[in-house]
Amino acid sequence: MSDALKQSLDLSIFWEYRAILLQGLVFNALVFLGAAALALSAGLGAALMRINRFWPARLVGTLYVEIFRNAPDYIMLVWVHFVLPLLIGIAIRRRVEFDPFASAVIALGLVYSGYFAEGFRAGIQAIPQGNLDAGRAFGMSERLILWRITLPQVVRRMLPEALNLFVSMFKATTIVSLIAVPDLMYNVSMVIQQEMRPLPLYTGAAITYFALIFLLSTGVRYFSESWRRKIMA
Amino acid sequence: MSDVPSIRVAGIHKSFGPIEVLRGVSFDVPRGSVVSVIGASGSGKSTLLRCVNYLEPPNAGEIYIDGEPLGTRIDVRGNRKPRSLSEVNAMRRELGVVFQQFNLWPHMTVLGNVIEAPIRVRKAPRKEAIAYGEECLRRVRMIEKANEYPARLSGGQQQRAAIARALAMRPKAMLFDEATSSLDPELTDEVLGVMRELARDGTTMIVVTHEMAFAREVSDRVIFLHQGVIEEEGPPAEIFGAPRSERLGQFLSKYRK
Repeated sequence: MSDALKQSLDLSIFWEYRAILLQGLVFNALVFLGAAALALSAGLGAALMRINRFWPARLVGTLYVEIFRNAPDYIMLVWVHFVLPLLIGIAIRRRVEFDPFASAVIALGLVYSGYFAEGFRAGIQAIPQGNLDAGRAFGMSERLILWRITLPQVVRRMLPEALNLFVSMFKATTIVSLIAVPDLMYNVSMVIQQEMRPLPLYTGAAITYFALIFLLSTGVRYFSESWRRKIMA
Repeated sequence: MSDVPSIRVAGIHKSFGPIEVLRGVSFDVPRGSVVSVIGASGSGKSTLLRCVNYLEPPNAGEIYIDGEPLGTRIDVRGNRKPRSLSEVNAMRRELGVVFQQFNLWPHMTVLGNVIEAPIRVRKAPRKEAIAYGEECLRRVRMIEKANEYPARLSGGQQQRAAIARALAMRPKAMLFDEATSSLDPELTDEVLGVMRELARDGTTMIVVTHEMAFAREVSDRVIFLHQGVIEEEGPPAEIFGAPRSERLGQFLSKYRK
C-alpha cells in the first residue's frame, strides 16, 4: 500500500480534532432536542385540531399536517432561515434576521411535527371510547382524561414509530450545517478545508453518527419495550 | 331527609337523531335499595343508565341525587340553568359506574385504576387513597392482584377490579350496566357474588341486567322497560311471579327454559 493511501485512510486525524468535533456534536444534540420538543408539542396541537368537533379547526389541522409533512426538510430550512425573516421584516417594517440555530430548530421541528401529528391522531383515535367513558363517569375533566388516560396509552402505542422518527430527525440535523450552524458536519468541513483530507474525516463523521444513533436507538428500544408490552393483552 | 330518595329519575326523554330511545321514564331509588332494570335488547336499558349519570345528557327530564338536580341548578332568581360540564362532573362522581366492557385503564395496575379518580378528582392524599383502595380490593377479593395489569386478568377479575374502582370513590349509589353480559358463564358467578354482597350491605344500586334469577333475588324493585317506557314495575315476586302485561310475560318466557 502506498504511503499516500495509508495516510489518507488513517482515521487518527479525526481523533486529533476531537474537541472541536465534539463541540459540533453537542450542537447536533441541541438542535435535535429543540426540534424534538417543538415537533412533539406542535404535533400534539395539530392532532387535537384534526380530531376537533369544529370543522374549521379540523381544516386548519389538516392543512398544517399536509403542508409540513410534504415539505422537504432542506427547503424548509432554507425557507425559514432566508424567506421567513424577509416576510416578517416586510410586515413589521424592520430588518429581521434569524439566528441559524433558531432557524434550524424551527424548520426541523415544523417538518417533523407533521409526522408526529399523524402518530398522535392515530393513537388518540385508537383509544376505546369506554376508556374515556370511565374517566367521565368518575368525574374526570376532559383535560385530566387527555393527560392521564389518553396520552399515556398513545405514547406507548406510538413509541416504535416515534423512535424511527427521532432517528430520521437526528440524521436530519446534519443538514443544518448548510445555514452555518456549527454542528459536527460543519466543523468537519472546516477541518477538511485546512487539512485537505476528506476521506478519514468524512468517514470518521459517518462512523460517529452511525455508532451514536445505533447505540441510542437500540438502547431506548430495549428499555422501552417491556414497559410498553405490559398494557398489551 | 330520609324521605328524599337517593336517586330520582324524573321524566327522562332521550333521542338519537329521529329515534326516540327513552320516552319519559320516571322512578325512585330509595337509599339502600336495589332497583333492577330488565328488558329486551334495544329497549333503552343501557341508554337509561347512561342518562342517569349524564354520559348521555337527556333531552328532557332530570336526575336528582339526594334531591339535588344533576344537570341543572336553580340560580338566585329561581330560574333553572343548565350546569356547566365541570359542575356535572362534580355531581356524577357521586355515582359509581360498572360497565359491560369493564373499561379498566390498561396502562395502570389494578390498584392504579382504583386510586386514580380518588386522587385526581376527589383530591384524596395518596396514602389514604391507597389504604381505602386496598380495602375495596379486599371486598371484591382482588387484593392479591393489586399490582397486575388488566391485560393479565380474566374477564371476571377485571370486572371485580372495576367494581372496586367504582367503590373507591365512595359513591352514593352504584350503577351496573350489564356487568356480566360480556363474561363467560363460568365467570359470571364471581361477579354476581360480589354484587350480591354489596346489595346485602345496603348499597344503593341500579342494576341493568339479563340475569333474571339474580334480579329476582337481590332487587327491592324491578322495572321492565319496553320501547323506551316502563311497561311494568313492582317488587320482584310480582314481576317474576305474576306478570300483568302480556309483553312482560312474553319476555320472561324466553328466560324460562
